[in-house]
Amino acid sequence: MPAERHMNMGLVSRLKRWYASPLWRAIVSLSLVMFIGIIFNADGTFLQWDTHRDMLRQISVYGILACGMTLVIISAGIDLSVGSVLGLSAVLFALFSMHFSLPAWVSVLASLTVGVLFGALSGGVIARFNVQPFIATLGMMVFARGVAKWVSGGEKISTAVLLPDGTYNYVEPPAIFNFISSRILGGNIAIVTILFIACVVFCWVILDRTYWGRYLYAIGGNEEAARLSGIPVQRMKIAAYGLSGFFCAVAGICQAAQELQGDPEAGSTYELTTIAIVVIGGTSLRGGSGSIWLTLLGSLIVGYLEKILSINAVGEESRLMLTGAIIVGAVMLQRNARRNG
Amino acid sequence: MLYRATTNLVSTIIFSAFFIFTGMAQKPQWTIGMSQCNLGEPWRVQMNADVKKEADKHPELRVIFKDAQNDNLRQRAHVEEFIKAGVNLLIISPKEAAPLTPPVKAAFEKGIPVIVLDRRVLGNDYTCFIGADNKKIGKAAGKWIVSRLGGKGNVVELKGLMTSTPGQDRHSGFIEAIKGSNVKVIFEADMKWLEPNARREMESALARFKEIDLVYAHNDPGAHGAYLAAKAAGREKAITFVGIDGLPQEGQMYVRQGILSASFEYPTGGREAIQTALKILRGEKVSKEMTLPSRVFTKENIDKGGEWLKE
Repeated sequence: MPAERHMNMGLVSRLKRWYASPLWRAIVSLSLVMFIGIIFNADGTFLQWDTHRDMLRQISVYGILACGMTLVIISAGIDLSVGSVLGLSAVLFALFSMHFSLPAWVSVLASLTVGVLFGALSGGVIARFNVQPFIATLGMMVFARGVAKWVSGGEKISTAVLLPDGTYNYVEPPAIFNFISSRILGGNIAIVTILFIACVVFCWVILDRTYWGRYLYAIGGNEEAARLSGIPVQRMKIAAYGLSGFFCAVAGICQAAQELQGDPEAGSTYELTTIAIVVIGGTSLRGGSGSIWLTLLGSLIVGYLEKILSINAVGEESRLMLTGAIIVGAVMLQRNARRNG
Repeated sequence: MLYRATTNLVSTIIFSAFFIFTGMAQKPQWTIGMSQCNLGEPWRVQMNADVKKEADKHPELRVIFKDAQNDNLRQRAHVEEFIKAGVNLLIISPKEAAPLTPPVKAAFEKGIPVIVLDRRVLGNDYTCFIGADNKKIGKAAGKWIVSRLGGKGNVVELKGLMTSTPGQDRHSGFIEAIKGSNVKVIFEADMKWLEPNARREMESALARFKEIDLVYAHNDPGAHGAYLAAKAAGREKAITFVGIDGLPQEGQMYVRQGILSASFEYPTGGREAIQTALKILRGEKVSKEMTLPSRVFTKENIDKGGEWLKE
């Protein structure tokens, strides 16, 4: 009887087993970071809800990117182009809605479409031409940044619209901008955070409730075996990168709305933070394992870490050293988890 | 066969188009090489635009632009390419002094006049340096802030990258100006010139301090990020925001919209570079050092084009 065996396991081994799961490891890391925050609470700032609300807002854009990154990494890939595609989407969204005055749904839909197309393009290059994901998305990272600069003319797309005679016309930010950068529930939660949570749930449905999810894990675990068992590997890879592009576009729209402008430089180096979030959460870069909940925890760990350093006004050099050390520490913890578990 | 015929046709069209165009345009007398260190910053995009705008007024000039994408060695290669191409004059806005001194020196020794824009090179092997003084601007901002606050208040300072000279100078000039007054910096953070970082740091400052009178940011996007953070907290009306750079579509626009109370111009010198280049090419004498004057933009003077800062 399984239940009987479970009873006989004893407390110590059961705790050991608990602690061996990546989910618990991530929760332990998060608790440690929270504990640091409670000690170094900056005159009680850390103990106020506002601080947590702001942290959740800040991490949302990274978190949305990390959702797509998780799908790609589970399939044993990597997407370095997320920051650039975010920048491109932010520019396009600002351009469509502020300069062309298109209706909100058209701007959103158009930006999302471009995001999916750019992602799927990377996926297509990887799947059809057997280019390594690192190289293909590195190319896309540079290419998409170029497109963003070309479309915007190298300048931020803001509420100042240049008229043909050289003067500026100042337009009001469209309602969609104000909506996305607002807060609901009595000002206690930002819309971008709600969007982040929605993306997490969306990914959970894909990974845990559909064939697509099973296929992605299978491809990440052993691509050849997946192919032989009849999984459409090429199509699934294109889908994974296409979805990553979709999340980049969502993040780009959030970024543009919060900054009230489309910055062609937006999102540079975000790919690194995003990969860090996924890996700290406990999803392995080798693919085939991991979950979206780990990525949610990874986002919180990175978000709280940044927030604690920021409210304590820690100097830049200490911040970099601490962040680097904690990233490696958290990942080492996770590595042991997999070995033991 | 068909393939070859098509390529022939295409190349004929391209070549004839090329000759027609070059024949039509007046042949420029002088070629200027413009080596820009990083077009990833709006301020430098503006610098190139200023150079182009002024050069377009003079058909005898042709300017070739190169962007080093924030890489010393790439910029070095660009200067060497310009020397090889035999440009008549070189304008360079170097990324860093030490690595770019040798190629600039090489050009200068080959007899190519060199105008150094904004950031310096080491030694004296160039024709003319054009730039503004960040420390003076920081000081002017500090003085303006002291008088605006009536000599007393709590200030948040959002610093540019503190390993860069503009960041250091905008900080030290400011500190010098507020010394002796009761203006206190209660929170400072390095936002590395980036708006999202500025917003994040400002949120921390707002959470921690209930009384903030003014935000001094080392660039306008930083001040704008701080404004957005204060607005989200419903505290933007109680705080004055001051930035630096004063670009038309950034700082000047924010002042016009009432977001910033003041923006201090950090002039690009693009226009002055072309004017000086023309003088040099015509054989006129120019001074070795040219410090650009700077303006302050406020709600009151923005429509009159700002007010020049006094020395």
